[in-house]
Amino acid sequence: MGNHSTATRQRSVRHLARTATALAAGGALLLSGCSAGGGTPEDGETITVLVVKSGLTKPMKDIEWVDQLEKQAEVKIKWQEIAADWDQKKATLLASGDVPDLIIGSNVITDSELSKYGSLFEDLGEHMDELPNVRDMFGEVEGAEQMATQEDGAVYAIPSWYEYWPQASVRQYINQEWLDNLGLDMPRDWDELYDVLVQFEEKDANGNGDSDDEIPMDWAPVPTWGFGYFNPMELLSSVGIVTSNGGGQGTYVQDGEVKNFLVSDGYRQTLEFLSKAWAAGLINPDNFTQDYAAYQAIGRGDGDDARVGFSWGWTASDRFGAALDDQYVSMAPIPRKLGQREPVVWGWDFYNLNPNHILMSKKTTNKDAALRAINEFYSQDMSVQTLWGTLGKDVEKIDDTTYEVLPPADPETDSSTWKWQETLGDAAPTWIRGGLDVTLPQDLDEAVVESEPLQDALAAVNPATDTFPQYIKVPQADRDQIALNNTTVMNVAMSAFADFITNGDIEGKWDAYVSQLEKSGLTQNVDLLQKAYDAGLGG
Amino acid sequence: MTLTSIQDADGSAVEAIVDSKQMLDDEPPRRRSFLASVGRDFRLRWELWVLVLPAFVATAIFAYVPMYGIQLAFREFDFEKGLTGGDWVGLTYFVQFFNSPLFWDLIRNTFAISASVMVFGFFAPIVLALLINQIVGTRIRRFVQTVTYLPHFISVVVIVGMLAIFLSPTTGMITRVAEFFGADNPNFLGSTSAFVPVYVISEIWQHCGWSSIIYLAALSNVDPQLYEAAQVDGANRVQVIRHVDLPALAPTMAVLFILSMGTVLSTGFEKIYLMQNTLNLPVSEVIATYAYKIGILNGQFSYATAIGLFNTLINFAFLIAANWIAKRYANTSLW
Repeated sequence: MGNHSTATRQRSVRHLARTATALAAGGALLLSGCSAGGGTPEDGETITVLVVKSGLTKPMKDIEWVDQLEKQAEVKIKWQEIAADWDQKKATLLASGDVPDLIIGSNVITDSELSKYGSLFEDLGEHMDELPNVRDMFGEVEGAEQMATQEDGAVYAIPSWYEYWPQASVRQYINQEWLDNLGLDMPRDWDELYDVLVQFEEKDANGNGDSDDEIPMDWAPVPTWGFGYFNPMELLSSVGIVTSNGGGQGTYVQDGEVKNFLVSDGYRQTLEFLSKAWAAGLINPDNFTQDYAAYQAIGRGDGDDARVGFSWGWTASDRFGAALDDQYVSMAPIPRKLGQREPVVWGWDFYNLNPNHILMSKKTTNKDAALRAINEFYSQDMSVQTLWGTLGKDVEKIDDTTYEVLPPADPETDSSTWKWQETLGDAAPTWIRGGLDVTLPQDLDEAVVESEPLQDALAAVNPATDTFPQYIKVPQADRDQIALNNTTVMNVAMSAFADFITNGDIEGKWDAYVSQLEKSGLTQNVDLLQKAYDAGLGG
Repeated sequence: MTLTSIQDADGSAVEAIVDSKQMLDDEPPRRRSFLASVGRDFRLRWELWVLVLPAFVATAIFAYVPMYGIQLAFREFDFEKGLTGGDWVGLTYFVQFFNSPLFWDLIRNTFAISASVMVFGFFAPIVLALLINQIVGTRIRRFVQTVTYLPHFISVVVIVGMLAIFLSPTTGMITRVAEFFGADNPNFLGSTSAFVPVYVISEIWQHCGWSSIIYLAALSNVDPQLYEAAQVDGANRVQVIRHVDLPALAPTMAVLFILSMGTVLSTGFEKIYLMQNTLNLPVSEVIATYAYKIGILNGQFSYATAIGLFNTLINFAFLIAANWIAKRYANTSLW
């Protein structure tokens, strides 16, 4: 998962350039409407399935569980496999109105697209009798049905549920070996953290004889549209703000009230801390200008010498590489000041429940076959296989509810990479059921184990009143207004984020910054989201 | 544009012939309708018409037909009703853009970048062409020419990657050189004052050689007798360039300058988007990147179309103005 999100991010950056061409060709793009699927023979069993998968994944026809899927659902599948440029291809596909029988992928068509192009897809809510597995999932997984139900009441897309996934996709890491080398204790609040980082900077923490090559703190490149994963917005947990998806565009919920942290005191305190750290040279000077590859490379250090002291990531091995991961420990969230009133929390990412994994075209000629395939994807065995690999090869089924994910058949490959070769990973439409007993593969196991230090902080979060549930749908007109405002708000906020940290004087600039954001529509956005939140919880 | 000029040149030449025939026919020329004169001309010179036909067709299909999509800027995009079926909203989206708090920032940033590229990017190839023209040996001249235009073929993504490596605040080669000469912690990738220079200089480095080809072609047409005559008169190298080369380049320069005016508010989206980061955002958000964020990322096609149309209208106005000025004062123009 970590590898995947990394890869996706890198890909998405690279593909922006190509997307640009699409922008230039905007008009032509909308007009052209290339034929996408179509041509499915009416033999009652052949369907065309478009799958958006990782570039690592083998061709679908070479994957063993695919044969089983076809046999059990009594369908023949013609695959269209897309591993790159999906956003760009999707725009053409949807605008042409000619979609394949099934579309599979992680949030493959977003709610926002469904509000425009929903009429292209079949309302699966009307076919629940033919989709018993999906119906059962809706019954058992809280929020799944609400998430799948669009504003107009239709179910165009079905989510996935991963029982074992850690709730949070970000963990906080500190280099334990450096702490030990310098005889330092684990920091317990920001002041102690600052002192530790200063020690990392001044001394030869990695013991290679060079006291200047240590980077006390680093984080992932922050995009210009908002906060992605693995950035210092995780520090907001120290002041009681529950972020989601790494921070996004600042929305959070506290005691049932929708707020935006970009204008909060907690955010200001976080920036002041980071600004102080920047001035003291504790943050990677390349931080604001490096790309994702450079950020990953520096985390992997020079051979056996780690370079980074404190950072955020999915797992230690994903963030720092197999050679260095044992130097790092997952660190529990710390308060800003010991004994403060605000609770210490952690980001809430709804990682188990993922929206919009499979959709069916309204024009499908072999409707029954397509429905059988959807239902089969959500069966117990198939769900395990699409996520972890073929039974008997990658996964051993011990009894009806017990599975063991085997080590990669190729000993040269790590379990994370192996998973992506053999399966659709988190692109798959999947329901990993609650009652199963699964021995997890190493990469996921690592994420679960490293999530343990987060448990107290996560327990301090009340999802009912402190999170913005993913199933809440914002009406389209409001969503457009929010997006419009956010394009301006984020332009101001993200440049201010960089400016405040690198140039300081937050005190002098803060009031003007807040009033500019409020004028740019931030207040309106909060109001609109509050309206949707109240409506969503009421309904 | 070239098409138009060919057409026009062609048209006027043909008209002259028609006129002489008209005198023979003793028929007043103005009475004849446009279509009739075209038809008559077609009978007389059909080979030429066939020659320009493919260009006509291509322009019609790729430039004029898609223009019907412009109405999207005045309509609420509605997928189910198609491109032209949405509700008419008039100038709503234009007003929205003008009232956007970012509007003046976008205009200023876009103009700063494209004007710098236009001015510096205009003179650099001329200087380069004049320099290459001074090189005597054919082989070394070809070598220099090839080396200077090779970067043109590097993809934008790679160029930006190279910039990131060369200009990295910690390990960048160019950063190091600047520090050696006394710069204090230069951050060429992040600083708001360095963004435009970095963009323009890298742009010139990449495209200067390629753009100079057209000037070199113009220079190769200069009659060698002119050089000899100038030398006989005792002109030195600079004087030869001033009095022989530059006048020979003037018409080409004028045409290219007018054409470049047509892109005054169009900046290279890809490169700017890739170079954007949170530090330089105050100067690197331009109309194209804004339209991408609002139109493609947020799916507001009508708004993005309106922004695009506004951009095109400004460019068009500049093009017309530049052409008018050139026609009036330099006696060179596109039409």
